[in-house]
Amino acid sequence: MVTAELLAGLAAVLDWQVLAFLGAGVCLGAVFGALPGLTATMGVAVLTPLTFWVSPEQGLAMLLGIYCGAIPAGGIPAILINVPGTPASIATSWDGYALTRKGKAGLALGINALASAAGQLTSIAFLAFLAFPIASFALRFGPAEYFGLALLGISLMAGVSGDRVLQGMLAGSLGLALALVGLDPMTAYPRYTFGLSEFLDGISFVPVMIGLFGLGEVLSQVSERRARAKAARIEIGRVVPKAADAKSLLGSTLSGAGVGTMVGAIPAAGGDIGSVIAWEQARRTSKDKGQFGKGSLRGLAASCSACNAAIGGAMTTMLTLGIPGDAVSAILIGALLIHGIQPGPLLFANNQAFVFSIVFLLVFACLMIMAVGLLGARPLAKVLSVPPPLLWAGIIVFGTVGSYALNNAVADVWAMYAAGLVGFVFRRARIPLGPLVLGLILGPMMESNLRRALILSGGDWLALVARPIVAVFLAAAVLSIAWPWIRSRRSASRSNLGPPSSA
Amino acid sequence: MVREDVATGGAFLVLGAGLLASGTMLPAGVGGLPGAGFFPQAVGVLMAALAASLAIRGIRHSATSDTNGGDLRAVAVIAALLFAYLALWGTGFFLVRTAVFILLALRFLGRRWLPSLAFSAALVAFVHIAFDAGLNVSLQ
Repeated sequence: MVTAELLAGLAAVLDWQVLAFLGAGVCLGAVFGALPGLTATMGVAVLTPLTFWVSPEQGLAMLLGIYCGAIPAGGIPAILINVPGTPASIATSWDGYALTRKGKAGLALGINALASAAGQLTSIAFLAFLAFPIASFALRFGPAEYFGLALLGISLMAGVSGDRVLQGMLAGSLGLALALVGLDPMTAYPRYTFGLSEFLDGISFVPVMIGLFGLGEVLSQVSERRARAKAARIEIGRVVPKAADAKSLLGSTLSGAGVGTMVGAIPAAGGDIGSVIAWEQARRTSKDKGQFGKGSLRGLAASCSACNAAIGGAMTTMLTLGIPGDAVSAILIGALLIHGIQPGPLLFANNQAFVFSIVFLLVFACLMIMAVGLLGARPLAKVLSVPPPLLWAGIIVFGTVGSYALNNAVADVWAMYAAGLVGFVFRRARIPLGPLVLGLILGPMMESNLRRALILSGGDWLALVARPIVAVFLAAAVLSIAWPWIRSRRSASRSNLGPPSSA
Repeated sequence: MVREDVATGGAFLVLGAGLLASGTMLPAGVGGLPGAGFFPQAVGVLMAALAASLAIRGIRHSATSDTNGGDLRAVAVIAALLFAYLALWGTGFFLVRTAVFILLALRFLGRRWLPSLAFSAALVAFVHIAFDAGLNVSLQ
């Protein structure tokens, strides 16, 4: 019976029109992901109305193609010009751009394509075989668990700060402070809005991200390179990693896929959080910790794998429970409902063939974007041979228009420019930028869920720790903050002992 | 003394203290439950404590010779162009203003007139097709 449904699902997908819609979606998604300011959410939202005139399979093929194309493509500008194309690719820029500066842009793009595909295929396997256990685990998350998850994410600030832990944590606290702007999440009391209605919704993190990483990098390069601003000879290097390298990346890719799937399955937590957690986990378990953030292949593989595995996680929660795992799946639910399909447990009971169609669509989309990523790596890397002033002008204009396009609000462009200046100053002062974005993304999640959890527990703080999942998250958070200090103490005491006697 | 750490610590200390003070003016909450002022105060305390640690460490340690140079005048000019461009947002003629901004920036960065003009026209045309016509973003 299941075999018949599986074959029916496969047959529906192998229709040339469905595959054409999928291919078009993947290509459009790649454009949305690769252009800073345009996101997967925006792409799916803008193109959903186009799918109303076609069959559910064709429409869903196009939307899933955009979703699966945009996320890995977000890693391309992160690697080439240090501007994350989507929020999920922030962690990709940490090692990816460092590899580009070392003349290994081709390899970084190749790993982005391969690890993204591996992460997504792993998460699809989870969806096919473990959909209900994963979704029911994710459903156990209440406000206290969300608070624990956000706290764990914020505690990673120390880990992503390299050897400048204090500066990184200060940047993270600035991100938390910026996240306070807007209406209080529980009482809607305005905070730090200075009477401006533009600030009531808070500060959007996408313009801040574009400003910090994009405009800040441009200003930094202007200050460093103005005198010799002409096209440089760029080393692209090999694209496909050597067999030995690929083998050494397997562990971090799979662990990234596991983390990404689990985090993606949790409603409202997506690839942006998952990729940072996976990167930090890979760093902590690696023998070459010092390379992370400076061009580590393992760090890149873990973050790319996790941010794409979050797609499968989000789809798992969406299909099994009818709950959106992230913003894109929320729009997908709407699109499915318009086509008369209700996601949830009944979908698995009544329309298994359609569920299998989705699984196969995800697999084909994943293979398509991997091919695009590998074949397009060399042409894409040519962007680095463009004379820097032209590249800077392109980044500024796309960043400006992309920030404005998010909400048709000029306040977002002001936020981007202000963040650009902060990014420039932070670069000069050698303050890590990653923690600031982490604080801005996770701050509202941490505050609102802590306060909700306290309302539920009647103000009892200890009741939060008594929940097992929260206790695990809190322990991991404490360890994450304390570990850099413990390690530095241990190495200091070792060096005080001096070299062992040879006698 | 590491001046960079002392300056960073000092700046964040002022910011943290400001956040803490402004947090006390927000509703504190009722019945043991935190209100709108709880998180600003918590973040203010965290920021001030971290900033003080950095500043103290900067005072205790000796300076390294690793200083950042660079052409700050070029950054100031580009930033001024950017903010002038943004200040004119909403006054109409978006495509013309953007093209002029790109042209001026490229000229300042040492590019020749004709290639700069061609590049700015091509970039503006692409932005118009992708955002204005394609995504229906109202660019004015």
